[in-house]
Amino acid sequence: MSIESVDPVIVGGPAPAPPVFDARGEKRIARRERLRLLVRRPGFIVGSVILLFWIVCAVGGDNITPLDPINDFDVSNQRPNADHLFGTDQLGRDVFSRVMAGARDVLIAAPIAAVLSVAMGSMLGVIMGYYRGWVDEVLSRIIEALLSIPVVLVALLIISVLGASAIIVIGTVAVLFTPIVARTVRAATLAEAQLDYVTAARLRGESGLFVMTREILPNISGTITVEFTVRVGYAVFTISTLSFLGAGIQPPSPDWGLTISDTYRLIQAGFWWPTLFPALAIASLVIATNLVADSIDTVRSA
Amino acid sequence: MDWKRFDRARRSVGPIELDLIESYAQGKISRRTFLHRGAIVGLSAPFLATILAACGSDEPGGQTDGQTGGGTPRKGGTIKVANQKPVSTDPVAMQDLPGYGIVAQCFEFLATLGPDGDIAPGLAESWEPNDDGSVWTFQLRQGVKWQDGSDFTSADVAATMDRLAEAGNSGLQGVLEKGGVDASDPAVAVFNLTGPNGNLPYLVSLYNAQTPITPVDYETGTTLQDSPNGTGPWILDQFDANTGCTFSRNPDYWGEAPLLDAQEMTFFDDPGTMITAIQGGQADAIVQFPAIAGAALLNDPNFTVLDVQAATHQQVWMRCDTGQFADPRVRQALAMTFDREGMVQTLFNGRGVIGNDHVIAPFFPYFDDSVPQRTKDDEGARQLLSAAGFADGLKATLQAVKFQEIPDFAALIQAGARAAGFELELAVEPVDTFYGTQWCPPKPADPPCSGAAELGIVNYGHRPTPDVYLNAALSTGGVWNSSQYSSSEFDAAFKGFQSSIGVEEQTVAAGQLETILNEDVPVGVAYFYNYLAGHSSKLTGVQVSALGQMYVDKAGFTE
Amino acid sequence: MTRYILRRVALSLVTLYLLATMVFIIVNVLPDDPGRRIAGPFAPQEIVDSLNERLGVNDPLLDQYARLLRNVVTFDFGESFKFGQPVKEVMLPALGRSAKLVVLGFVLTVPISIAAGIFAARRRNSFADRSVVTLGLASSSIPEFVSGVTLQFVIGVQLGWLPVLALAPSDAGLIGELRYLLLPALALVAVYFGYIARITRAGTIMALDSDYTRTAVMKGLSGRRVLTRHVMRNALQPTVAVIGTQIGYLFSGLIGLELIFNYPGLGSLLVNAASDKDFPLLTAGVILVGVIYMLTTLTADLIIAWMNPRSRLAGDRA
Repeated sequence: MSIESVDPVIVGGPAPAPPVFDARGEKRIARRERLRLLVRRPGFIVGSVILLFWIVCAVGGDNITPLDPINDFDVSNQRPNADHLFGTDQLGRDVFSRVMAGARDVLIAAPIAAVLSVAMGSMLGVIMGYYRGWVDEVLSRIIEALLSIPVVLVALLIISVLGASAIIVIGTVAVLFTPIVARTVRAATLAEAQLDYVTAARLRGESGLFVMTREILPNISGTITVEFTVRVGYAVFTISTLSFLGAGIQPPSPDWGLTISDTYRLIQAGFWWPTLFPALAIASLVIATNLVADSIDTVRSA
Repeated sequence: MDWKRFDRARRSVGPIELDLIESYAQGKISRRTFLHRGAIVGLSAPFLATILAACGSDEPGGQTDGQTGGGTPRKGGTIKVANQKPVSTDPVAMQDLPGYGIVAQCFEFLATLGPDGDIAPGLAESWEPNDDGSVWTFQLRQGVKWQDGSDFTSADVAATMDRLAEAGNSGLQGVLEKGGVDASDPAVAVFNLTGPNGNLPYLVSLYNAQTPITPVDYETGTTLQDSPNGTGPWILDQFDANTGCTFSRNPDYWGEAPLLDAQEMTFFDDPGTMITAIQGGQADAIVQFPAIAGAALLNDPNFTVLDVQAATHQQVWMRCDTGQFADPRVRQALAMTFDREGMVQTLFNGRGVIGNDHVIAPFFPYFDDSVPQRTKDDEGARQLLSAAGFADGLKATLQAVKFQEIPDFAALIQAGARAAGFELELAVEPVDTFYGTQWCPPKPADPPCSGAAELGIVNYGHRPTPDVYLNAALSTGGVWNSSQYSSSEFDAAFKGFQSSIGVEEQTVAAGQLETILNEDVPVGVAYFYNYLAGHSSKLTGVQVSALGQMYVDKAGFTE
Repeated sequence: MTRYILRRVALSLVTLYLLATMVFIIVNVLPDDPGRRIAGPFAPQEIVDSLNERLGVNDPLLDQYARLLRNVVTFDFGESFKFGQPVKEVMLPALGRSAKLVVLGFVLTVPISIAAGIFAARRRNSFADRSVVTLGLASSSIPEFVSGVTLQFVIGVQLGWLPVLALAPSDAGLIGELRYLLLPALALVAVYFGYIARITRAGTIMALDSDYTRTAVMKGLSGRRVLTRHVMRNALQPTVAVIGTQIGYLFSGLIGLELIFNYPGLGSLLVNAASDKDFPLLTAGVILVGVIYMLTTLTADLIIAWMNPRSRLAGDRA
């Protein structure tokens, strides 16, 4: 449960205000340049390949798994062998097929939760960073208070009252992540709002809404992208943790966190494979999103 | 057969006992059943031995369920027991096995656990019914003292039974009313029942776990730790609901003083951790463990498994009044898809017996084994389904609670039923919400459980007699009747079962119930599984019931 | 500095007030009948009603709100439903146990991860650097309940080197207690080593690249001196901030480890309180955890302010 409550605040933004003329074209060139740098980074390539693999698994589901992950039963607790690459679980289902199919639930839930939290958090963050003053003070205190609430505990409480449906799990994780995103985006906005082009826009008499959405938001899109990839990683972790505690996705879904919680006690009976492989799957997904996030961040600030 | 000895023996007993002896002599019941029933009706051990000797024993020695022998234990030492965290330790109100196990260390029952897993004299030295079984007289053990020094008398028994009657104890309800125990003789407790009941000794034994005798001035709602004043072999020293409790030997115990000096009981949230504690040497005994996660213990030469047959089972309920399962052929079809042997093997490592879609467990003495066993038959199931109008298959949602092996059981049902044309969707809910939304929602309240889901799985714990299952889950209007089963034939058969007294009569009545349930299938019962406990093989003399009561007063370390 | 501290403390009090309000909203907004929840679906309505009466859920909302705020000030939340004891008496032992585990975990983690982070930063892009980064990322990506069970099985059961349960017997003494806590603490190390090492590495790289480091080197100061006097001071600020928030978070966040090692800490106590609907215990627990979080982040901020006087002028971080 090492879900971070706080992340290193990403300060500093992209290059300073572009010249007034041909801003669009120059931006496009800069973007292409960054993309070129990105694909040359091994971390990005490895991360993307892993991500792509899991996306294929999630989309393909039981159509592409070697065996039916839910309905095919063989002798239970077989060690990894030629027929069952990752062995079979306590009911005799193929662990390899279950790990592949298990990508679906988390790959749907995690990005949606991340998108929601990044959308809400960015909105709050930009407002706080742009207006500053009392708006910022009040919202900051609320965010601080939200951050001090134990994440998993509140999630468990909400889920125990409202039931453990996918929508509730996604919504809960999204709400819990929002303040963290808001804090990061606020920091980026603060740095951006002091730059000349924002001042210029203000002097032109543009409305606050215009400045925030048309001027600031595009310029902190890098920060937001990184924040999104990082949040996806943590969402995977949080959703798995909730499943582990019995409050997330329910059986017979081959979801990784759920599978781990159902099988981790078999390790002491010598059956390590039904637990180890989903654990490695979670790790690989988290690492992959981190690699991609790190690469984007490095290229952006280079 | 030694007729002379036999005849002398049978002359000295009443009609209920006589029926039992006759049944055994005529070979209608097994030796094991005979001993079991004999204990209930209060025949003494020497008497039973006389009968057995007279009839000549033709069966191998009885199985010593839930008890270990071997090795000479030494005196002294502290045993570390792993138990799950108790929910309640209020003797009258507790509902959880961990709570039962703790309270049973300090407080004792009129009838306690015998060496063969059956009941044996506890605080009552002997008991006997009147001719029709409506009045039972318990001779109380003399010289028993409460831990505070006062004497144990029939007033304590009467007060305890009044508290239980007031609280609506599930076993005694309708059997004994408040004021039903006559305590005019301090050494004798006379139970005047509302009607005949052949099972009363069970209902005041450890198998009706809320009935330990508490002092006359004990207030309802008091927990063990508030007032740890029992008659038992152990004195509660410390209690922390979060971590555990400790007991020391009661030096003034009426029976043989425990060999061990003390007991340290640790509470756990996770049963898996209890197994790890045994493996890591931080616990000597484990009150209960699941067969699959505990697979390592089952094969461990340094660990002694206590394997107790129990009536614990899961009921796959199917709504009989409305919906797709209203046609009995559909219910029969689903039950026909169960791979029962496979389930017992996969879910319990073989530690259980298969069920036949009724609730009379095979080890009940009145189990009728002549009812044909339903076996897996996908083709037969498909035909039944088509005859019922579901030629193209049937789609339904199977509701299950996330408790023990139930999600896995549900997955096996789902997969096994596909070949016959059932397309089942699983919906698993946490314990928190399941019972109140899927099984027996509080509304609509009349009849009870009429808001239940069409198809679901619910768990039933061990009971010494099947009455609760038959009454609450299957009788018309029963409080837990989630299948909304209503059969006048069944209700009549259940009445007959309750009022039948002799073993032979009970077996006939049970056979009727089995046949009706197996035919109508309001609930699918795929298995009954064993209660598993155990301890380090350094120990001997540990005994356990299927209700979480682990007795270590005769236990000791052998090395 | 005094002014800064006062300001931070005052802001924390405001946050605490908001936290209490939020807890109040969560408990009240959720569509629920607490009495029914506690008594179960089959309890008679009278029992449910009397429970609700005892809980005060029928009182006007404003009264309930005022009562909660008063409880926060006096830190007296009445009796726990489940234990029938004052909430304080149930919670304090659990808090003590959580504190021991978290502190031991961080005492083990922090020195090695900071050392590894600085080591990696000074050999940027070398094999050693990449190893630290990758190892760290991998170890912190395995859920701690998995690393916990694995450690427990291998070191505790197979090798028999350490106790598999974390709660020491009452006569164990301090050293004995540490032995019992070592396995779960090691699981914490596995999770946090990578995180803290990476933060430290990033901070150190930023500091090494900065103007003041270059100036110091040009002034002719020795490499070691530059590192201790100039780089560390700045490089470790994000590390301190992260440690502060994580310690606060972990007091209630170790539910999985507590379950696996049967360690009755604050996390499992509160999870059980949530499933038992023990509202007094739950409310008190959430607020206590909030206070701890604020204290640890406040401490971290003060340390940062001491390390870098400029941050005091920048006002508060949030």
